[in-house]
Amino acid sequence: MSAAAPGTETGSDTGSTTAPGAERPAPGRWTPGRTAAALLLPGLVALLLTYAMPLVWVARMAFNEPLPGGAIRQTLTLGTFADVLTDGHYWRVIWQTVELGALVTVFTLLLSYPLALFLARTTTRWRGLLIALAVTPLLISSVARTFGWMAILGNQGVVNKTLQSVGIIDTPLQLANNLTGVVIASTEIYMPFAILVMISGFGRLDPELERAAASLGAGRLAVLRRVVLPLTLPGVLTAGLLVFVLSLSGYVTPRLIGGGRVFVLATEIYDEAITALNWPVAAVLSMLLLVLFGLVIVVYTRLQRFVERRILGERGAAS
Amino acid sequence: MTDPTTGVPSPTAAGAGAAGAPAADEGHLVLRDLVKTYPGRHGAAVRGVSLSVPRGAMLAVLGPSGCGKSTTLRMIAGLVAPSAGSVLVDGKDVTGTPAHHRDMGVVFQSYALFPHMDVAGNVAFGLEMRKVPRPERERRVTEALELVRLDHLARRRVSQLSGGQQQRVALARALVVRPTVLLLDEPLSNLDAQLRTTMREEIRRIQQETGITTVFVTHDQHEALSMADRVAVLHEGRLEQLGTPQEIYERPASRFTAEFVGRANLLPATVVAAASAGEAAAAEVEVPGIGRITAQGASPAPGEPVTVLLRPHRVVLDAHDPDGGIARGTVLTAGYTGETVAYRVRVGGSGPELDVELPSGSHRPSAPGAEVGVSWQQGAARLVPAAPRSGGDAEAADGGGPAGDRDPRGGAA
Amino acid sequence: MRTGPAGRAAWVALLVVLYLFLLAPIIVVLVVSFDDATFLRFPPEGFTLDAYRQVFANDDFRSAIQVSAVTASITALLAVVTGVPAALALSRVPFRGREAMESAFLSPLLVPNIVLGLALLVLFAPIPLTDTYTGLILAHLGITIPYVVRTVCASLAGADPRAEEAARTLGADTFTVARRIILPTILPGVVSGGVIAFLLSFDETVISLFVSGQNVTPLPVAVLQYVEYRSDPAVAALSVCLVVLSVVAVVFVERSLGLRRSLRSG
Repeated sequence: MSAAAPGTETGSDTGSTTAPGAERPAPGRWTPGRTAAALLLPGLVALLLTYAMPLVWVARMAFNEPLPGGAIRQTLTLGTFADVLTDGHYWRVIWQTVELGALVTVFTLLLSYPLALFLARTTTRWRGLLIALAVTPLLISSVARTFGWMAILGNQGVVNKTLQSVGIIDTPLQLANNLTGVVIASTEIYMPFAILVMISGFGRLDPELERAAASLGAGRLAVLRRVVLPLTLPGVLTAGLLVFVLSLSGYVTPRLIGGGRVFVLATEIYDEAITALNWPVAAVLSMLLLVLFGLVIVVYTRLQRFVERRILGERGAAS
Repeated sequence: MTDPTTGVPSPTAAGAGAAGAPAADEGHLVLRDLVKTYPGRHGAAVRGVSLSVPRGAMLAVLGPSGCGKSTTLRMIAGLVAPSAGSVLVDGKDVTGTPAHHRDMGVVFQSYALFPHMDVAGNVAFGLEMRKVPRPERERRVTEALELVRLDHLARRRVSQLSGGQQQRVALARALVVRPTVLLLDEPLSNLDAQLRTTMREEIRRIQQETGITTVFVTHDQHEALSMADRVAVLHEGRLEQLGTPQEIYERPASRFTAEFVGRANLLPATVVAAASAGEAAAAEVEVPGIGRITAQGASPAPGEPVTVLLRPHRVVLDAHDPDGGIARGTVLTAGYTGETVAYRVRVGGSGPELDVELPSGSHRPSAPGAEVGVSWQQGAARLVPAAPRSGGDAEAADGGGPAGDRDPRGGAA
Repeated sequence: MRTGPAGRAAWVALLVVLYLFLLAPIIVVLVVSFDDATFLRFPPEGFTLDAYRQVFANDDFRSAIQVSAVTASITALLAVVTGVPAALALSRVPFRGREAMESAFLSPLLVPNIVLGLALLVLFAPIPLTDTYTGLILAHLGITIPYVVRTVCASLAGADPRAEEAARTLGADTFTVARRIILPTILPGVVSGGVIAFLLSFDETVISLFVSGQNVTPLPVAVLQYVEYRSDPAVAALSVCLVVLSVVAVVFVERSLGLRRSLRSG
C-alpha cells in the first residue's frame, strides 16, 4: 500500500517548509498497511504455530498408512479413508454421533427457549442477575459439571435414591453409562450457549408488536404462533446450529457419563490416537468430523435463508 | 440595497469565491484547491475547494450533509490527508505536517472528551503534550475553564456533565493551548434548541475575546448566518459561494445557495433588457404568468433565460385591492405558524405559485380562495446567476418543472 | 402477553424448574463436597470439610493445580500481548484485507477442540513438545487469542475514535495516543480478555488430554482421570473450587465489561 502522506507530493513544490522539529514521516513509513502488519504479526505467528500448522499436519496425517504397533508409513494414500469408510463400526460411531447431536439439540432448544424468551422480555430489575445465572455455567469447568451429573444420574445418585426412598422404583433406573445419561447431561451443558445466542438473536422481538397483535384480536396462542415464534426463529436456528456443532464434537460428557459404552467420533478419535496409537485413522476421523461440520453449516445456511424469506413474505402479506 | 460589511477585511471579491482561485496568500488560513477522493467511492468528497480566512475572522462552512464540509475541516486539522491541494497557515504550507504538529484546536461534534480523565485533566492534556510546567499549566487550565464558565467543575468526571457542559469542556480543551486556528465540527448539533441559542452567543463571545481565527462546519443556516463573519457554502464538494452572511442571503451566487440558505421562490424568466451595470445592476425580465418586472443583479443578454429569486417574507399581499399590486393572485393555502402566516398563492389564472410569509398581526389573514393583490418591496426580486460549473443542469431543471420550487431544499437534494 | 393468575403461576413454575435443571449439577456438587462419607451419596448425612483437606493433601491434585495455574497465567499473558495489538489493528487501522484478517483471528473458534487437540499432538509429538509446559501453553494460546481479540475489539468499538483524534490535534503522537488515551479506555476489555483467557486455559480439558502427559498434567486432566475410576467427595470439593474460581472471574468480567459482550458467539 503506497498511501504515503500526500503532503510529500504537494509539499515538495512549496519547498516543504515545515518546522525543523516537526515529525515528517519518511515516505512509506508507518503507512496503514505497515502499521497493521506490525501490530498483527505477533498474533499471526502465534496462530500459525498453534492452529494453522497443526491443522495442516493432521490433514496430511490422514493420507499416511498406519502400520501395526503404532508405526506410521509416510505416504500419500486414500487407503486409510477407504478402510474407515468400509468399516461398519465407524459408520455406527458416526450414526451415534449424529443421533446424540440431534437429540441434544432438540432437547436443548426446547428447554432453552422459554428461559431465553423470558430473559429477553422481562423488565424486572433482577434481569442482569438472572441472565448471569443462566449463562455463568458456560464458564464453569465441564468436568466439574459432568461430575455433578454423575452424582445425579448414577445408580447411587440423587434421582435413583429419591425415587427409591419414595418407593416408586425398586431397582435403580439406568440413567448413566448409556446414551440417555449423556443426552441429559449434554443438554444441560449446552443450554447456556443456546440461551446466550437466543437472547442476542431475539433483539428484534419488540413487545409493542405483541401488544399490537393482541389489540387486533389475536389470542395468546395466536400471538405466540403468528408473531413471537416467526420473529424468534432465526435466533433459535442459530442456537441450534451452535449446539449441534458443539455436541457433535463433545468429548468429556460422552466419555464420563457414557462410561465407555457410548461411542461417538470424539471418543473414537481420542482412543485411536492415544490408546491404539493409530494416528492416521484418528486423522481420518477428524476429517470426517470436519466434513460433518461443513454439512451442518450448509444445511443451516439454507434453512436460515428459507426462514428469513418466509418471515419477509408474511410481513408482506400482512401489510 | 446596502452592501453590508462586517469590518473584516475581505480578501476576495464578494461572491466571487466560486469563480476561481482567490488571491490566497493574504489570509491567515488558506486552502488551495483541496481535493479528497476515497478509493472505491464514486466521485470525490471534496473537489477543489479554495478559500481564505483572514486573521481573527470566523468562517462558517455551510452545506447539506455529504457536501464535503466535514472532510474539508478534517483536512485542515490534518486528520485526513488531502488527495491534492494544500493547506497554508500564515503563508506556510502545512499539508504534510501531521495533526499533532499542526497546532490547531479542534472541537468535535461528539465532543470526544477523554472519558477516563476529569474536566481539568481533559483541559490540561494539550499543555502536558507541550511540556508546559505544572504551575503554569494549572493557571492556564483555570483560566480556560473560567473562559467557558466551568471553573467550579474542574474535578468533575466528564461522564457526569450535561451536553452543554461537555461542549464547554471541549472548547476549553481546544483553546487552552492557544492554537493558531480553532476548528469546530457541527459544534451545536448535539444540543437542544434552547441551549443551542445560548451556546451560539457563547462561542461567538469567546471567539471575539480570544480573537482566534476560527472555522466551523454546520448544516444549519441560522447558525452560519448569525455566528460567522464569512460563510462558505459547500455543495457536492465544491465551493458555491464565499461571502458575508448578508451577501450569501441577499445576493446568492447560485440557485443552490438561494434555495439552501433561507426559503426561496425561484421563477424562470427571460431577459428583456439590461438596465444598468456595476453594483446597481438590474434588468427588466419577463416572468410567465406575472409579466415584466425589474430584478436586481447583473443579467445576460436580452432573450436569455434567467432565474428570479423572491424571498417569501418580502412579498406583500393586499386583500382589499386585488388589482392594486404587481399581479393578481389567489390564496391556495394559509398556515398559521405563530409569528407568521405562511401562504401559498397562485399568481394570475395559471401563473407560478409563490410562497409568501407575512408577520401575523400585521394583516387580516386571508382564507384559501381569497383574491389578493401580490406585490413586493423595492429590490426584492433578484437575478440568480446560473451556477458557475453546473449551469446547464440548473437551466434544464428550470425549463421542465413548474415555476417556483415548493421545498427550498427539495430541489437541491 | 397478559395471562391469568393460573397461567402466570404455571409459567413461573416452568422457569423455576428450568433454572433448577440448569444449576442442578453445581448444586449437587456443592452439597456432596461437604458430606462425610468416603463415597458418593445423596442426600449427605453429615457435614465435614474433610473433602477439601483431601484435595490439598493429594500430591497429584496439588501439582495439577500448580501446572494449571502456571499454564493459565502464562497463556493469558501471551494471549493479551499478542491479541491486544491485533485487536488495535483490526479496529483502528484501515488496511486492505481487514475483514479477512478478522475472520482469521476468530477462526480457531470454528474448529472442534477434539480435532485441534489431535492436530497439536501430531505436530508437537515429534519435536517433542508434548508433556511440556511450552507445548501446553502453545496449545492453549491458539484457542484463547480469539477471545482476547474479541473482548478488546468490543471494548474499542465502545470507545470514541474521535477522542483519539482530539488527542492528536492536541499534540499527542501515535505512541502517546495509544498509551494515554486508548489503553486506559480499553483497560477493562483487556483485563476481561485476560481473565477469560486464564479461565479457558485453566478449564481446558480436551486439548490438554492430547498434549499433556505424566510430567505436566493440568488439573482438568487429573480430575478426569481420577473420576473415571473413583468418585468421592474429594472430586466434588475440587469441582467446587473450580466453580468458585469461575464465578469470581465471571463477576469480575461482568463488572468491567459485561459478560454477554465478552462471550457472544460468532
